[in-house]
Amino acid sequence: MLVVLRPFMRIRHLIPILCLLILAPMSGAAQQHFTISGYVKDTTNGEALIGANVYVKELLKGTATNPYGYYALSLEPGTYTLVCSFLGFQDLTRTISLQSDMKLNLELSPKAILAKEFEVVGERREDNTSSTDMGRVEMDVQQLKLMPALLGEVDILKTLQYLPGVAANGEGNAGFYVRGGGPDQNLILLDEATVYNSSHLFGFFSVFNADAVKNIELIKGGIPANYGGRISSVLDISMKDGNDKGYHAQGGIGLISSRLTVEGPIVKDRSSFIVSGRRTYADVLFTPFIPDTSAFAGSGYYFYDLNAKMNYRLSDKDRFYLSGYFGRDVFTFKTGNPDDPTFKIPWGNATVAARWNHVFGPKLFMNATATFSDYNFEFKAEQENFDFSLFSGIKDYGIKLDFNHYVSVRHSLKYGGQYIYHIYTPSTVTARSGETTFDIDTPSRLHAHEGAIYLLDEFDLTDEIRVNAGLRLTTFAHVGPFDEYVFDDQGKETGTITYGPGRKIKSYTALEPRLSMRYRLNENSSLKASYNRGQQYVHLASFSSIALPTDVWIPSSTNVKPLIGTQYAAGYFRDFLDHMVESSVEVYYKDMQHLVEYAEGADPQANGNNNFDGQLVFGNGYSYGVELFVKKRTGKLNGWVGYTWSKTMRKFPDINNGEEFPSRWDRRHDLSIVAVYDLNKRWSFAGTFVYATGQAVTLPVSRYFIEGRLVSEYTGRNGYRMAPYHRLDLGVTLNNRTTRKKKDKATGEVTEVPRKWRSSWTLSVYNVYNRANPYFIYFDNAGTVTNGDLRVVAKQVSLFSILPSITWNFKF
Amino acid sequence: MKRIILLSLSVLVLLAGCTKEITVDLPEAEEQLVVEGTIEPGQPPIIILTRSQSFFAPTDINSYANIFVKDADVRMYDGSQTYVIPMFCSSQLPPEVIDSVAALTGLDPALLSSVDVCIYTSLDPNTYGVIGRSYRLTINAEGKTLTSTTHIPNPVPLDSLWFQLTDQNDGDDTSGFIWASAHDPDTAGNYYRVQTRRLNRDEDGNPKDPVFVAPFGSTSSDDFFNGINVQFVIIKGSSAYATDLEDAQNIHFMRDDTVEVKLISMDKREYDFYRSFETNVSTQGDLFTTPTNVISNIDGGLGVWAGLSSDRRTVVCVPVQ
Repeated sequence: MLVVLRPFMRIRHLIPILCLLILAPMSGAAQQHFTISGYVKDTTNGEALIGANVYVKELLKGTATNPYGYYALSLEPGTYTLVCSFLGFQDLTRTISLQSDMKLNLELSPKAILAKEFEVVGERREDNTSSTDMGRVEMDVQQLKLMPALLGEVDILKTLQYLPGVAANGEGNAGFYVRGGGPDQNLILLDEATVYNSSHLFGFFSVFNADAVKNIELIKGGIPANYGGRISSVLDISMKDGNDKGYHAQGGIGLISSRLTVEGPIVKDRSSFIVSGRRTYADVLFTPFIPDTSAFAGSGYYFYDLNAKMNYRLSDKDRFYLSGYFGRDVFTFKTGNPDDPTFKIPWGNATVAARWNHVFGPKLFMNATATFSDYNFEFKAEQENFDFSLFSGIKDYGIKLDFNHYVSVRHSLKYGGQYIYHIYTPSTVTARSGETTFDIDTPSRLHAHEGAIYLLDEFDLTDEIRVNAGLRLTTFAHVGPFDEYVFDDQGKETGTITYGPGRKIKSYTALEPRLSMRYRLNENSSLKASYNRGQQYVHLASFSSIALPTDVWIPSSTNVKPLIGTQYAAGYFRDFLDHMVESSVEVYYKDMQHLVEYAEGADPQANGNNNFDGQLVFGNGYSYGVELFVKKRTGKLNGWVGYTWSKTMRKFPDINNGEEFPSRWDRRHDLSIVAVYDLNKRWSFAGTFVYATGQAVTLPVSRYFIEGRLVSEYTGRNGYRMAPYHRLDLGVTLNNRTTRKKKDKATGEVTEVPRKWRSSWTLSVYNVYNRANPYFIYFDNAGTVTNGDLRVVAKQVSLFSILPSITWNFKF
Repeated sequence: MKRIILLSLSVLVLLAGCTKEITVDLPEAEEQLVVEGTIEPGQPPIIILTRSQSFFAPTDINSYANIFVKDADVRMYDGSQTYVIPMFCSSQLPPEVIDSVAALTGLDPALLSSVDVCIYTSLDPNTYGVIGRSYRLTINAEGKTLTSTTHIPNPVPLDSLWFQLTDQNDGDDTSGFIWASAHDPDTAGNYYRVQTRRLNRDEDGNPKDPVFVAPFGSTSSDDFFNGINVQFVIIKGSSAYATDLEDAQNIHFMRDDTVEVKLISMDKREYDFYRSFETNVSTQGDLFTTPTNVISNIDGGLGVWAGLSSDRRTVVCVPVQ
């Protein structure tokens, strides 16, 4: 059915519809309205609460706070009961008499750690069934910390893999693949700055330190118009603002890393900071025990992350934020002998975001952002007579302006614009061998402008139908300086074209329509549908089956067309037990054009006299599937079950003889079960179970001999399935007592007072039943033909067997 | 670099991982003919014709003997005349010529004496390779027709060779690498391969290398050094047939080895073959690469038909001061 819809969804058909939809709700605004607006915060630490519901009991209408905790409601004059609620916090009710515009800041108190029996609220609120959101999930950082983790490292990205429609890639890998899209199709934002490489240690750990993170939101379909630049998903991570009431610290000691976070007010209730760091210490712990004769002698590895943020509230109308992230992985190899080669391989990200919130009037909220992102990878090798160094990276300078316009309680607008200047360094090699310095005349840097403007309109067409319609206009230009090599038909270089700085080489412009609709069936259920189309102007060219730091980002160019993604989705959403349990069934179809792969037999090291995109081939792909999701949000036992049935295929004229082949991320079945059980205030238990269809891999089917050596002949890209992946993890957390007994000296009365010092032990066991999950398969041939002992066998490598770990966390 | 990643990954595997033998059901593959043919200046064309096998086919010596294709119709056209290239089988050879046939074909002497290996070559001096000439090969065998054309480029001379100790361990004054220098011609698009052969004999009196061997990574294009003097290091390779495993695993030349170095020049299609062949062999089972087939220049089959020219020089491994 979804496929049938396609021809009707062309852009030019949509434009008039969108215009009509945008204009429609504006016409009827005759009655005078006043606006109530303000911020919603956590009373204990002053953190802004993102996505908190503020609703008007009498009208059964409401809104949710924006990423800065701001809300606004435009209503006719009158007396209203305002209820503010947020998961994990106690509801706050205020009666207001609205006779003019008014400000109302709301502070919510967290519920006790132990969730109480659910209370029947009885009001209709912003929830799973009333919003137009589809394929949108928020993760609770507190819950995430209770879940068992590999080597005790709490990992945001790995937890996302438990959601339907999100696939993992192999054992322990933090990469995530949304609805058949590649790792480069996820827009990962940390405080609105792009993070290009989201993992440490070749993918085993993600760069996000959960102690510094406040909110995690993943959008895998129906991407609203205020986001752009990637076609598959948006992962929007907000860092904590820092406690503006008092100084606090928290941290933890785990098997492989330690963490420490310090936060506090700079000026009480006005300004605060947070600094959070994490470092692994395998190098410090293990290096002394590696014997000098071992192959690993002299090698060292560590990674670290540093998050820092501060904010300053100038007035109720203006607020500044400055946040940064800096993380590095460093691999070194050095023996004591000066004649041995030494290696140093550092890589990592840095992001900086400066933001200014301004409230123009109660109805108009503005956020201006300036961002900087940098990802680079370096490889340096040195020996007496030989030097080699390789550098690749991407650097972005961006500015962004977003407006939230709260027109009425039934209608809100978002509009804004964005500009990014990209500098890419696909791969720069310098080398010296003996007296020879190699001449590397590859174009070492590439430059591009990317711009976008958008308008997003959300309104209630009727009480049942809510529409979220948007348009995003994007443009991209690859500009000089650039030397383009020109080749004849035989592939022989005939010359170069030189473009001066700033000169346009190739540009693209696109109009990206986005549309989501909700039709409410009754109090607890609704139908939703969405359509979105987007263009992506950066591409990740990858040689390996997993995301590696060596993967190179390249821009769209004359040769590399922008990636175009179109997604259609429809779903049925239903809540049970007064929204305590939410469930959904979504179907989607996604079409991807101009995907990039390296040509078969391409050699990245041999890109000398060639354009940066000279070894790439292009093709298309599609993915479709059904996702089931049941989530229990509150109660002693909470968690979710997610199941996905999907199919993801690729078709490249130059790969696999032009025949369609399954993508690496093709998973027919993918099941995840996550459960957390809070026994009492001190004990929590958690378990996760995953099952996924085996990964598609390419294996040889025949062999022959050249120069006496066995050559493998491969046919059918990704034509073989490894054994299914399944695993059970269990974890238990023991908190110290939250109160202590205090004896009043005068009266002798013993009272319970809350403790300032909190600590907990988390024990997790990864892969409880010790399943040998396939990581990769290889063929081993040993012996020689002439000796008659040549033997060819298939071997399967598994990474992590049963693996217990323990972490100690503290907070004061 | 990949090696480094693999190394650190193997730390993880060592920590917790395991490897087990599994049974894999691979689809049946169609049998193809494989050409391993070369023609060099002043040398006869040498064509070894084999067939591909399914991946888990038996690997005993008799099955191996079976892969050599006999009674094929092999013809070579040099631009003016077509020559029929006849078949010679090792069972017909007198034992005293085995070693020289091995050196000429690159096939292992032990293999030639234990299995009836048939190759196609010619004793007619008119078929011998000439620099600058193109050669068209046509093979008809087992109902299949295979064709390919190659060309012998000008050789690029080696300017000098010297031996340098690597000082692997304290006081080690015996093992090292050979260094070479050459001048790459001004025109872009020169493609090279290096092979070596140790001429001195081991303790048992056998030649250390019966045939020329190439280390992995023996190929290079002039992309990074067009038109300049280039110095490069030569690491010891090992023959696929090596029986002395300790010697095969050693990547160093030893003091007093007498080593003949061959700097081979070829065209791009032949270079693509040798480069992809080495990649294919060295990346078998490597997680960090996309499996790729060897790029053949044979129409209707696999393998290569390569016109090669070379400069040969000999160096005695005495460290330079």
